[in-house]
Amino acid sequence: MESVEVLVAHIQGLSRSPDEVSHLHSLLKQSEDALRSHASRLAPFLSQLDPSIHTLGYLFLLEAYSSGSISGEEASGFLLTVVEFINSCSAEQIQLAPEKFISVCKSFKDQVMQLGVPMQGIAPLWMAVRKLQTSTEQLTTLHSDYLLLCLLAKCYKAGLSILDDDIFEVDHPRDHFLYCYYGGMINIGLKRFEKALACLHNVVTAPMTTLNAICVEAYKKYILVSLILNGQVPSFPKYTSSAAHRNLKNYTQPYVDLANFYASGKFSELEACIQTNQEKFLSDSNLGLVKQVLSSLYKRNIQRLTQTYLTLSLQDIANVAQLNNPKEAEMHVLQMIQDGEIFATINQKDGMVSFHEDPEQYKSCRMTEHIDFSIQRLMALSKKLSSLDDNLSCDPQYLSKVGKERQKFDFDEFDSVSHKFM
Amino acid sequence: MDLSPIQKDLASKCYSAVADTCDDLMLKLASRGIRYQDEWPFAIHLLGHVFANDLNSARFLWKSIPLEIKESRPEIAAVWKIGQCLWTRDYAGVYDAIRGFDWSAEITAMVVAFSENYTKKMFQMLNSAYSTISVTDVAHFLGMSEDRAIDYALQHGWKLDSSCKMVIVKKPKTVTERKLDPSKLQRLTEYVFHLEH
Repeated sequence: MESVEVLVAHIQGLSRSPDEVSHLHSLLKQSEDALRSHASRLAPFLSQLDPSIHTLGYLFLLEAYSSGSISGEEASGFLLTVVEFINSCSAEQIQLAPEKFISVCKSFKDQVMQLGVPMQGIAPLWMAVRKLQTSTEQLTTLHSDYLLLCLLAKCYKAGLSILDDDIFEVDHPRDHFLYCYYGGMINIGLKRFEKALACLHNVVTAPMTTLNAICVEAYKKYILVSLILNGQVPSFPKYTSSAAHRNLKNYTQPYVDLANFYASGKFSELEACIQTNQEKFLSDSNLGLVKQVLSSLYKRNIQRLTQTYLTLSLQDIANVAQLNNPKEAEMHVLQMIQDGEIFATINQKDGMVSFHEDPEQYKSCRMTEHIDFSIQRLMALSKKLSSLDDNLSCDPQYLSKVGKERQKFDFDEFDSVSHKFM
Repeated sequence: MDLSPIQKDLASKCYSAVADTCDDLMLKLASRGIRYQDEWPFAIHLLGHVFANDLNSARFLWKSIPLEIKESRPEIAAVWKIGQCLWTRDYAGVYDAIRGFDWSAEITAMVVAFSENYTKKMFQMLNSAYSTISVTDVAHFLGMSEDRAIDYALQHGWKLDSSCKMVIVKKPKTVTERKLDPSKLQRLTEYVFHLEH
């Protein structure tokens, strides 16, 4: 215990300037084992420190404390301590020991889940993500933990503030899988199906040498969301890994069958397929989505009509879409017009519906702004890709590999690789 | 419990901001481990989501409210009824839900604002979706008596065909801005430069 007291004194004395802090850092690293052995008795020492000034020292103590087992009575106190720490800690000092910070946050998340109060963890984890990130373009391990808590607490909207950031740097591939999968689920919950599809697409097409469970679950949802949004499931793009390409369909057979029945457009066949596989859909927690796929079939059938007819009677629409009567057809069409899924006008006097083209002429100021904004984003992305390409061309590992594969008779021509690397 | 940010929004009639204010405050209180549920203005929170037409968040909030609170505070269930009618597209049901409850003083102004907004939105929907529509249906969608509905429609330039009790819709002329200003030229130059390099 003496060593801990001495350490605390050092922390209090050496937290003023960056030099002092780095000296403190090495002292702390040497004392890690000592701290762990006293894990359960560290709580009173924490109260002697100020988390905003003595961030690094506080972090080491807190991490050692959380690595030990925390009893039931201590749990809520621990949670409040961590919340206070996250809110007041200094981001610069955190950056010196990010793994420890991540470890504390993970213990926090585990405790919150164990006590069944995921909502308590949302605001603190959001703050933790922001303090851990070096920029909003970086994906950290905490991103997926944050989204998980949002999902468990059903605070889906809270997940959007993190989800809407564009990510360009990924530390660990596993973070990426979970982040995109949970992101897809949050978008599905908020019915932002296009964004959900983009997230799930990223999981399915991510580079991988062997298939993993996250990818399989993501592909199941990917099929369902594709059906709801576009009425069909696209084939795998060229950049999909061969592991995914070869094996995904084997693990998701009921869903592939569902997609095939959907393509036939027959309501009764689709319903039968859902009945047969209901157990499977239920155990995958996808039954809600499957039901949405079913109701989207009406919309799909009505949308197909717009490609063939200019006007059609409500009775005919009811017949084609397998609805009960013209009034139901009218309500369906009204709903689709309201949601912007078709462009049409209903003439109640004649019981007819006229289908129109999209009235958007792309000439208004608002549309120009929108296109401008998209072009700016594309230009920024393009610049990022060029700089990435430049960096890669200078990478020693890449150059040595290219050097080895060079043909000898290209020697006199365009010499792109220095001889050093041959 | 300091609920002043919510009260500020209500006082200044920024009803569309109420949902976000409530969400942020609720998460902050939850992070401190405070049991906020007993005093929390769920009815206003729920109505905030409904006002912003965010029915998904309204549904999730409703699911998370403890049963005892739902049963002891009938106003919350009354607000949820409005949300439910919107979710199931029971257009006329929304009006019944609004009128079928004696709202407390705190929430009345917000309910009235929502009701006016909703009527306007319904009218716009009818405008865009119908070329002719029966008087009964107009009254149904706008939550008014048939005579009032006819007056409302005529005021907005629609025509009445009294022989078959149908109203002929007149679509309003939408004016979309099309002027371009000089900064666009700068941006176009940037695009061409980017494409050339």
